[in-house]
Amino acid sequence: MMPAFTPEQDGFREELCKLLCEDDVRGEIARSRRMPYGQESGLLDVHRRLGKLGRLAINWPERYGGADATIVEKAIVTEEMIRHGVPENVHSLGIDIVGMAIHLFGTQEQRERYLPGLARGEITANVLFSEPGVGSDLASLTTRAEPDGDGWRLSGRKIYNMKAQHSEFALCAARTSTGPVNFFGITLFLVPLQSMGVVIEPVWNLSEERFDLVTLDGIRVGPEDVLGEVDDGWQVLGKVLPLERTGLDHSAKAERTLAALRAHAPPGCEQRLVELETRVRAARLLAWRCVANLHDGRPDEVHSATAKWYTSETAKEVSVAAVELLGPQALLDARDPEAIADGVFDAALREAPGLTLAQGSSEIMLFFVATSKLGLPS
Amino acid sequence: MTTVGTEAIAGFFDDDLAPLVRRMADRPRGEGGGSDEDSREMRAMVWQGLAGLGALDTAEPVRLAELLGSALYQGPLLDTLTARELAWDVDLGQAPVALAVAAEPWSVTNETISARRTFVGFAAEVDHFVVGGVDSAGPRLALVRAGQPSITLRRYEETSRGEAYEVEFADATVAAWAGSATAWAAALAHARVRQAAYLVGLAQAALDHAVAYAKTRRQFGQPIGKFQGLAFRLSELSMHIDATRMLVHDRDAAEHAAAGLAAASDLARTVTTRTMQIHGAAGMLADNDAQLYYRRAAVESVRLGTPSQLRRETYVAQE
Repeated sequence: MMPAFTPEQDGFREELCKLLCEDDVRGEIARSRRMPYGQESGLLDVHRRLGKLGRLAINWPERYGGADATIVEKAIVTEEMIRHGVPENVHSLGIDIVGMAIHLFGTQEQRERYLPGLARGEITANVLFSEPGVGSDLASLTTRAEPDGDGWRLSGRKIYNMKAQHSEFALCAARTSTGPVNFFGITLFLVPLQSMGVVIEPVWNLSEERFDLVTLDGIRVGPEDVLGEVDDGWQVLGKVLPLERTGLDHSAKAERTLAALRAHAPPGCEQRLVELETRVRAARLLAWRCVANLHDGRPDEVHSATAKWYTSETAKEVSVAAVELLGPQALLDARDPEAIADGVFDAALREAPGLTLAQGSSEIMLFFVATSKLGLPS
Repeated sequence: MTTVGTEAIAGFFDDDLAPLVRRMADRPRGEGGGSDEDSREMRAMVWQGLAGLGALDTAEPVRLAELLGSALYQGPLLDTLTARELAWDVDLGQAPVALAVAAEPWSVTNETISARRTFVGFAAEVDHFVVGGVDSAGPRLALVRAGQPSITLRRYEETSRGEAYEVEFADATVAAWAGSATAWAAALAHARVRQAAYLVGLAQAALDHAVAYAKTRRQFGQPIGKFQGLAFRLSELSMHIDATRMLVHDRDAAEHAAAGLAAASDLARTVTTRTMQIHGAAGMLADNDAQLYYRRAAVESVRLGTPSQLRRETYVAQE
């Protein structure tokens, strides 16, 4: 359920919204959405500005560039950034997934090395999990880590990841040993991306941001680059992935599209709009329930799966409904001079299919709820 | 030209040509892909082929439209069939025509019209426009020859990355006036049935693509089509397509054209959205047809009105 925000938290949200509504911030966001396809931006000035204020990773300790705040303040930052249209992938990948994984499972040295730059919005990171042919069934991944002295050499191909071209390093899953149980033997490495032995190629796709095909061609990593225990990366994945699965990013996206839809919907759509509004409200409540769970130190995987499924399916429904209600107007790209609402509908429509696939597909969430919540036989 | 069935046209979209037809009005995002010029030549060739096979005079226009949808054909054929249903004093021959009709004001003299029309398909490659508008004389339609300096075109940047244009007619010369409001209503009803059939064909093709993938793609040690969660969803879509196909081929389809199109519109968006999910992230790749069906469905499903407009119109007509 929705936490009761303190007056300080309300004030914080207000102050954040004020910053995100400044003309130069809005201008930068609008410009970034009109960049020619394939030349998408990485970190923007607004990220750096929030980073300098200690807002970007606000729940991290001050020594790592945060402000020692709680997950609630962090969630407010995420929610407002998305509501205001700040491109969020670069932020969620670098801070919410990779940064959070380092924060929770990294060594002191790894934290000091990576977290301050991420928190200040100076560097970013991405995730190298999926491979050609290996998606939801991640345990079947084939990228190899061959022993090399006290370290390893990584070889394999990683696809469907984003922002590799802007990232300094990546959290990469590779197989260090094989055995009868394929969950075991996966190790997570922090891999420098802009270096010899790593080839990054764009993969053009439906959405607004390119995918990258990252070929690891024998790049060497040392013991200091292992996150967590060797062979035991699955444990880390099992703990970090649900943390990002509050669904708050999706509910905020749904809110943003819906707000634009409300502003542009012709008469006759009232009932459908109310139906969508109710769904989006429920989505937001499910997301905040997960944030509250984390805040209380009681993460709940069924709640996370429910929130991920419901919020992403809702965001997708709102995006498709915009076409249904607005007609061809909704299809204009941000780059068209007559685009309404900065082209938010077209971008949302092209992003929508990915929402129910990334970060654990809807099918994985459904399976989890069927078996873990309902107790159905697997 | 004798009237012909659609078998020959089905044969025309063979395994060699079909993939090219699907992409012949798609400007790739990012790098690579053919040029606009190549695509236009391809469309011109397909137009010649279809016209040569009697598509303009087919006895089975609804079947033809479904076939075009399943081939993801992009071109002025459906608009041209509608234009040919209206009585004109001039012979259209086999010329392609684009519809630029809206129930919006325009300014008209005896010989010219001025109007701005949005989302006109293939405006840069037709010989004529059928421009519709409303003034004190009520709704009327004018045939306007393309290529006049008084006509300006602008191609939209839009989801399908296809051939949709904003067209400005500034005192464009009228070649002929046509039809009464009744004639347009009849032609529009037929156009809607054909558009609905096109969407049924598109939905079927998107489903076929997903079913083929579900049979071969393996995850967790088995083809994903073996998971009942997926299999049942695909079956359900197949049955919805079947039901909507019955509506569009029914002999009374034209009487229920608006409601039928609304149903086909929902069908096409639903099927393409759900089949995207079956394909996983692979379906989003530029060279995968799944995303092409998804984008085309978005555009084609609202070409002749949004579902709520169409349903309202149906409801009002029943009052």
